[in-house]
Amino acid sequence: MKSTTKRAYVIFALIAAFFAGLGIMMYNFYTHGGEWAAHRINTHIYVNRQLTVAGSISDRDGKKLVSSENEKCVFSSDYYTRLSTLHVVGDSQGYIPTGIQLLYRPELIGYNFINGVYDAVVSEDSVDVGLTIDSEVSKVAYSAMKGNKGTICCYNYKTGAVVCMVSAPTYDPHNKPGDINTDTSGKYDGIYLNRFISGVFTPGSTFKVVTAICAIENIEGLNDRTFKCSGKYKASGGYVICNNKSGHGKLSFEKALNVSCNCVFAQLADELGNKKMMQTVDKLGFNNSVEVSRAKTAKSYFDLSDSTDLDRGWAGIGQYTTLVNPCQMLMLAGAIANGGEGIIPYVVESSSEIISEAGQINRNMKLSAETAAKVKKLLRSNVKNYYGDSKFPDLKMCGKTGSAEVEGERSHAWFFGFSQREDFPYAVVVCLENGGTGYYDAIPAANKVMQAVLREEIKK
Amino acid sequence: MAEKKFGLRNRLRKKYNHVGRGFILLLLTVFQFFSTLPVIFSDGTVHFSVWGMFIAYNVFEWVYVIVMHNIFKKVNFELEFIAFFLCGIGMTIITSIDKSFLKTQLLAVVLGVIVYDILLWFLQDVKRVMAVRIPLAVFSILFFGACFVYIYFVSGPKNGAYNWLKIPGLPSVQPSELVKIAFVFVGAASLDKILTTKNNYVYICYALICIGIPVLMRDLGTALIFFFTFVIIAFMRSGDVRSILFICAIAAAAAIVVIFIKPYVANRFAGWGHVWENIDNSKGYQQVRTLIYCVSGGLFGLGVGQGKLRGVFASENDLIFGVVCEELGMIIAFFIVICFAIIAIYAVSNSKSAPSTFYSIAACSAAAMLLFQTSLNIFGITDLLPLTGVTLPFVSQGGSSIVCSWALFAFIKAADVRAYPKVFKNN
Repeated sequence: MKSTTKRAYVIFALIAAFFAGLGIMMYNFYTHGGEWAAHRINTHIYVNRQLTVAGSISDRDGKKLVSSENEKCVFSSDYYTRLSTLHVVGDSQGYIPTGIQLLYRPELIGYNFINGVYDAVVSEDSVDVGLTIDSEVSKVAYSAMKGNKGTICCYNYKTGAVVCMVSAPTYDPHNKPGDINTDTSGKYDGIYLNRFISGVFTPGSTFKVVTAICAIENIEGLNDRTFKCSGKYKASGGYVICNNKSGHGKLSFEKALNVSCNCVFAQLADELGNKKMMQTVDKLGFNNSVEVSRAKTAKSYFDLSDSTDLDRGWAGIGQYTTLVNPCQMLMLAGAIANGGEGIIPYVVESSSEIISEAGQINRNMKLSAETAAKVKKLLRSNVKNYYGDSKFPDLKMCGKTGSAEVEGERSHAWFFGFSQREDFPYAVVVCLENGGTGYYDAIPAANKVMQAVLREEIKK
Repeated sequence: MAEKKFGLRNRLRKKYNHVGRGFILLLLTVFQFFSTLPVIFSDGTVHFSVWGMFIAYNVFEWVYVIVMHNIFKKVNFELEFIAFFLCGIGMTIITSIDKSFLKTQLLAVVLGVIVYDILLWFLQDVKRVMAVRIPLAVFSILFFGACFVYIYFVSGPKNGAYNWLKIPGLPSVQPSELVKIAFVFVGAASLDKILTTKNNYVYICYALICIGIPVLMRDLGTALIFFFTFVIIAFMRSGDVRSILFICAIAAAAAIVVIFIKPYVANRFAGWGHVWENIDNSKGYQQVRTLIYCVSGGLFGLGVGQGKLRGVFASENDLIFGVVCEELGMIIAFFIVICFAIIAIYAVSNSKSAPSTFYSIAACSAAAMLLFQTSLNIFGITDLLPLTGVTLPFVSQGGSSIVCSWALFAFIKAADVRAYPKVFKNN
């Protein structure tokens, strides 16, 4: 009898397991509640697969980019605003994985753990989200891309606030092309991807800045050295061909970056070796992703672990298997401008429901203030002495172009840089897929966007 | 030690008597009145027949307690109050899903209460219990087997399982629910006197048949419940941890074999932990919607009738916990399931002072069965465990389930020294 009584305590094990289960369940409800409640199959908030009870999303001037009216999702009334902000705002059906409509659904539908979706569904009290995006600048950026695929992004490198983030190809959410999912011509390739966040591209000469950083930190007396370019650089196993086939002749390190001499940078990469190059790339955060207002950026790709000397030479000038994410390049520009601290971009303004995302430092990007200052000088020299300040009026621009070779097609046109003006702390990245050259195609686009931002800043 | 506890219990009883049965009944009635209002006034009209049935249910509660207290001299009604509360919430929700459920459910509750009291009276005499255990064991197996054969060859499966007995002209019944009562009864009674090996083997054979038939019926949840209860009973009777572990190991091996030869079993488990990858097929459809609508309700719910989970298949039985979460809120939903843990604690504490090991084992195994079934249900639909499709006792729609839950309460109550007023007085 007594032993039976004692054995009854085994029931307590069941009770304990039961409460543990309840605890886990509650924890799951608490941590995943927003994500679940905002799921597209929740018919409280989705009707005909359209988000119907969400608050509106506005740009920084309060212009509505999207709102829910009469159980329908209504985007901006302006056609080009719709096109240029689509990838930031996202579509109503959740095809664009990095759109704010998707990532901030819990807030937009007014979900909270205590009231569930009650506020949105019963009291029709949903939350509005404000963006840092400027729709006017976005429109300028979209037109500056001249129909190319690619991305342009511009942000304040001190706060991280993004004023424009445009990705192409894009479409009009009010009039979605019928052949968008069936087309095979390639015109809609990756149309649901925000290329700034999720894209990776061959960097071409823009990557020489990374090689330069590695050289500055590892090779002494770099500025006193004179390099020689004969049009091609011989590494064991072959040649790295220079962009100037007849050779640049004798040049300094600074001049080599100005003219973007392949030979010099291939030689530097060769001198530095695989290990140091990979260390620098890692230190600058290329192997990590960041969250731009909850959207996870794609990791860049740089791997020399099995490469030959020739491969390393090509990698040093941004070719070989190297791929970079445009956001990473923008943060690098920001870090160089900002004394070594790379600020993570953000697009959602803080409010009572949304914690501030401003001014977050990318801890994976380690760039010393000293190196940053040296690189800044070099990038300023690029614009001042080579591209010409006339390309960027009133901006005191610093930057680097790139024309990344892609097999069998036009090169990617790149530019990334920043304004040195104290009162105008903006950085920009332009990447036009098969869009031509950095100098002829990316620079004008970058300038148009920067000028538009400047105009908007002066207005304020 | 025992003295002191008894003293505490006396004090508690005095205190409890102050609070009063009437007060608790009043609370129940008020809660039920307000929670049923949205059901009665739904679809723009007043459903008087529904209202009438809810009033009848409340009158039944009052009459039952008054009669039991004044005529049969019962002193405590904790279990009954909990069961009334759970049945009331269940009826409110299932009626709001489909009004035609109410009549059967209400009749089942009344029948359940009758079964409860008859069983409770029957359990009073241990000799009587011992006398019927073997006939009951034989009868329950024959009944279960016959039902299976009839369903398999005559009436056919329902939702892929052969666990519903449908005889034309009669309401459909889940035979396994009735066998559960016999299973606890036989398990607790058979080894009360002597722990002989032979006796144990006979019981193990009985348990094996009771576990095997639901497996053949493709009703895995019930098979698991039988197995789990068997383990509890076997442990409480023998205290032999090694044998129990051995049995569990054999069961695990058998389960693996079953998974290999019966693909439908593996299919059931395929969705487990992967429900978000299967939102539009049978592997995750119900679970994903349960999770989404549970959190949509928040702590206080969207109101009865305002939910969306009600539109999903089996919302009135398997998914009822989710519907309660969504419409009445997580606080009430969690309170409902915590009731079963409280019942288990009550059973353990009663079993200490029970007059015979039969009562201890019966109370603990019945409470464990209810709590385990609750766990299978709520953790199954929220993807912490595989979905096995068992009901939530007292709350889910289904007559057999209600009657079985009430009958199991009789075992728990029988272990309470106050259950039999005269016996208590003589002691």
